[in-house]
Amino acid sequence: MSKWYEEPGRPGSNVVYSRVRLVRNWREYPFPGKMTKEQSAEMTGRLYEGLAGIGSLDGKNFRFAYLDRMADLEKTALFERRAINRSVLKKHAASGLILSEDEREGIVLNGDDHIRIQTVDMGFCLEKLYQEANRIDDYIGGRFDYSFDEKYGFLTSFPTNVGTGLRASVVVHLPMLSRRKNFNSLVADMARFGTVIRGVYGDGGENFGSLYQVSNQKTLGQTEKEIVDLVAKTAAELDVQERKLRSDAMAQRPLGRADETYKSYGVLKYARRLTRKDAMEFLSQLMAGINDGILKSETPCSVFGLMLGVQPANLLSRAEKPLDKEELDAARAQFLRERLPQIL
Amino acid sequence: MLCEHCKKREATVKYVEVINGVKTEHNLCTQCASHIDMGQYSALFEGEFPLGKLLSGLLGMQETDPASEKFSGVVCPVCGTTYEEFVKNSRFGCPDCYSVFDPLIAENIRHLQGSEKHVGKRPAYLTRGTEQPKEGEEEVPGSSTPGAEGPAPLTMEERVRLLRTRLKDAVKREEYEEAASLRDEIHKLEEESGQHE
Repeated sequence: MSKWYEEPGRPGSNVVYSRVRLVRNWREYPFPGKMTKEQSAEMTGRLYEGLAGIGSLDGKNFRFAYLDRMADLEKTALFERRAINRSVLKKHAASGLILSEDEREGIVLNGDDHIRIQTVDMGFCLEKLYQEANRIDDYIGGRFDYSFDEKYGFLTSFPTNVGTGLRASVVVHLPMLSRRKNFNSLVADMARFGTVIRGVYGDGGENFGSLYQVSNQKTLGQTEKEIVDLVAKTAAELDVQERKLRSDAMAQRPLGRADETYKSYGVLKYARRLTRKDAMEFLSQLMAGINDGILKSETPCSVFGLMLGVQPANLLSRAEKPLDKEELDAARAQFLRERLPQIL
Repeated sequence: MLCEHCKKREATVKYVEVINGVKTEHNLCTQCASHIDMGQYSALFEGEFPLGKLLSGLLGMQETDPASEKFSGVVCPVCGTTYEEFVKNSRFGCPDCYSVFDPLIAENIRHLQGSEKHVGKRPAYLTRGTEQPKEGEEEVPGSSTPGAEGPAPLTMEERVRLLRTRLKDAVKREEYEEAASLRDEIHKLEEESGQHE
């Protein structure tokens, strides 16, 4: 079964993927930060048992795994693919992951909170993802009573999640808009409306690949629908602005755009060594080129799936042996050579 | 540029200090930056939750306020989280912390969230009692439990399925002892269910 990120994106739109996350806590236990090792193990086990039938919800196969016993590399690869969040990477107490085969639906047990429900898929589909997360939430909530307060809503470890426990995000590809001088002030403006925009991949101040995540800042005092609408509206606005810049560029310098796209394809298809930064930058150019109809491939291709595949832990887990820096760059180039489709 | 303190790692933190109008600039790596005293901003370099820590920086600022000094002894009787601990980690220990610390933090939560009143979804066990068919039913028919209290008991089939996925996981991790005991448990369950049929 193919994974969600292997589906080719829809041409024309710069929205890459959408994601919904809900956090909940079971009222029988303190929050994870204050649980003993024994309580963690006991609670994770009880949640597992109670959720064993979760596959009956939509007939999918779910994998049940203990994260605290999983190899670090596999965990990091799952983190790179957005299946788990950073804070469970180094957690020693029992924590669990229930993940559907296509990795679209995932539940992390005993991370920062007892239950973290996530639904994710390619394209602009926040509302549908919220409905699905809500269904999983109803299923779990019907079996385990959540911590809830009339005033503060669903109670969470961090006050930044309290209320709905909902984080709705949309990842948008903004190669031209993000290079504009006024991009930072645009981001600051968005914050005033209650959304946060941050780069998805990169180190420090850099963002390789021009992917930006838009998500809601506040979780309290707004309904779930209001939150989803706000994030969707912001993402749509960014998409429109990027489209405008790109169609202007196509009109003003069609040869330049074609050259950038074909050169990027050439490097990705024939290079023998690629750093993460280079791979991400060229994939970003290719993504824009395919999206703008400059380059057509024989078979549909998820450029974003390739972006996930070239992250270090995913390459290493595919290699099945340790690689040094140069070998990793070579493995990255090979990975791309083998997967890039022929162009028409 | 290398860190001016350890001279080994790349400097990623630029710290500008202005004391009585005299500006001094330091270029440090995150490790060295976490060791020097930057007041409330030091929290930014500890651990992994810069965002959460930033919040504790905001909350911590209040500590100089004499009114909150007297709250410093407040402890959650259920999980033992102290006010200091909460300010340091921006993290509650248990659901009861919210009501214990409420008088101290309500203002901060309002500041952080722009609101202090939840208006979204409510959990199933609260809507279950109030016989109002408007919610729950229209949204997702059949997904809520049929009025049962607490978790529904697992069917034999579900239990075997759970054990099987755990067995697969154990084999993958090469935890053969665990796998063997899971296998025995599955056999036992299957035999039992065979007898009942």
